[in-house]
Amino acid sequence: MNAQLNSRSLPDPSSTAPAPLVSIRGLRLSFPDQANKPLFGAAPRIEVLKGIDLDLPAGQITGIVGESGSGKSTLGRVMVRLLAPDTGTVLFDGQDIAQLDEAALRPLRRDLQMIFQDPMSSLNPRHRVWQIIAAPLRRFGLGGTRVEAVAALDKVGLGADFAERFPHELSGGQRQRVGIARAIALEPRFILADEIVSGLDVSSQAQVLTLLKTLAREMNLTLAFISHDLSVIRHLCDRVVVLYHGEILEQGPVAEVFAAPQSEITRTLLAAIPLPELDAHWFDD
Amino acid sequence: MTPPSMLDIRNLNVALLNGRPILRDVSLTVAPGEVRALVGESGAGKSMIGKAVLGILPRGLKVTSGEILLEGQPLHDLRPAARRRRVAEVAALIPQDPLTALNPVRRIGAQIVDPLIKIHGWARPAAQARALDLLHRVHIRAPERVMQSYPHELSGGMRQRVLIASAFAASPRLIVADEPTTALDVTVQKQILRLIRELQQETGTAVLFVTHDMGVVAKISQQVSVLFQGKVMEDAPTQAVFDAPDHAYTRALIAATPSYADPERPFSPVPQSLIAEMSAALAMEVRR
Repeated sequence: MNAQLNSRSLPDPSSTAPAPLVSIRGLRLSFPDQANKPLFGAAPRIEVLKGIDLDLPAGQITGIVGESGSGKSTLGRVMVRLLAPDTGTVLFDGQDIAQLDEAALRPLRRDLQMIFQDPMSSLNPRHRVWQIIAAPLRRFGLGGTRVEAVAALDKVGLGADFAERFPHELSGGQRQRVGIARAIALEPRFILADEIVSGLDVSSQAQVLTLLKTLAREMNLTLAFISHDLSVIRHLCDRVVVLYHGEILEQGPVAEVFAAPQSEITRTLLAAIPLPELDAHWFDD
Repeated sequence: MTPPSMLDIRNLNVALLNGRPILRDVSLTVAPGEVRALVGESGAGKSMIGKAVLGILPRGLKVTSGEILLEGQPLHDLRPAARRRRVAEVAALIPQDPLTALNPVRRIGAQIVDPLIKIHGWARPAAQARALDLLHRVHIRAPERVMQSYPHELSGGMRQRVLIASAFAASPRLIVADEPTTALDVTVQKQILRLIRELQQETGTAVLFVTHDMGVVAKISQQVSVLFQGKVMEDAPTQAVFDAPDHAYTRALIAATPSYADPERPFSPVPQSLIAEMSAALAMEVRR
């Protein structure tokens, strides 16, 4: 039992998983606690990530799950280097990007893309859909014509007639697909998807997840998928990582972790999901 | 004679000013102590039913026909002011987004206490005691401190608890819960659902529970209305809906809900062909 727990909690180099695209070791990150700052001197620091060791296998979808405040979004933001850790290494394709400055990161930015939780606030409300998709292409000198934007729209199942629309003219699911189109248009090697379906109704959610799974397979994408919903992770991901208070409680292939969750927190997260079936005892515990 | 339903909606039609239908002939009842779920995709009109009952339809929407009865009394007989008073006395709302529903520049305590004093005529000390008691009941650890806090000082889960406390404060006989857990993560969602259920069972309050999540429907409700483009497609006890869903759309909604317990189960969006077929049928009805 113990041996199994250990092999589960550390990345296993001997496993048959493909080589990692992102490899994280000893990652620690803290924020200043402004609420408790003394009048003079530095604010005390709150440690949000407390020593994370994690590999994201190339071409796979890794789910990151945890309660609010467990540090999952912070971890994601370190992966795409929107945040720099205090200590630890973040190897992206063998290169340590943990402490690179903005100038050194610039050539890598194209490969580190992100899809956001709230598409309404992450899509420019005054730009048409095709301009939203074309802007980063132009920024990276990869073209950025309307034709290219329409091609990206086509990949996410939106017709050319969506190109001229504004974000407010779209439904939540369509907006989220525009967010996906913007990320994949750059043909990045890594995409971070942070709670991208939590604002959608079930049918739009199913559409977006099915689309993401197909695209990831077709484009051989490496994806980190942050969610608090283990049902979604079970359907979409190859691997899952459970975070709690800034530490990894367990990780492994989804089938294994779901069949025999090792930690109490994982079991609590599973028990909290309202499955679409009758269960008179769901509230008892 | 059976006692009147807490809420009885008969052939309710709501439309945009240009005549485009938003609710089509919606009929449903909620008995005292019962939870009825209103389920459907975004834009199905499920929130609009609750808003029509509370008389807070967005501008540009009008009730074109139909009746809403609260405890057997038709609301349309009342003048607007009397109607507002009647609804405020009997019903309360738990809104979806706790941040926009709370006034950012007023303390939590005042926001719970004021309606008790102004609408329900309580004395201030009694209202304050009631607010404290309810904050206790929704498992807020330091209610005295929370009473003095501003909304931004609380987490999303805490804010939603405050709104639940506020909704139950005046012992309403009907609560409209409009997607109260959609913005929360699963563990907090379960706590909030349990809380609504506890208070509801204890007080015998009737609840109209709006959600898009068939999982939540299965856990919280006894009756379900499944809505599509403003029309009730299926109206049945929750048990029957999950044992043997009658309508293809209900089956499609259940199939669109992912389940970790059964990863091999087909998991798919509502088929476009079904949506097209149902839309066409509704368009035919309008023409007739």
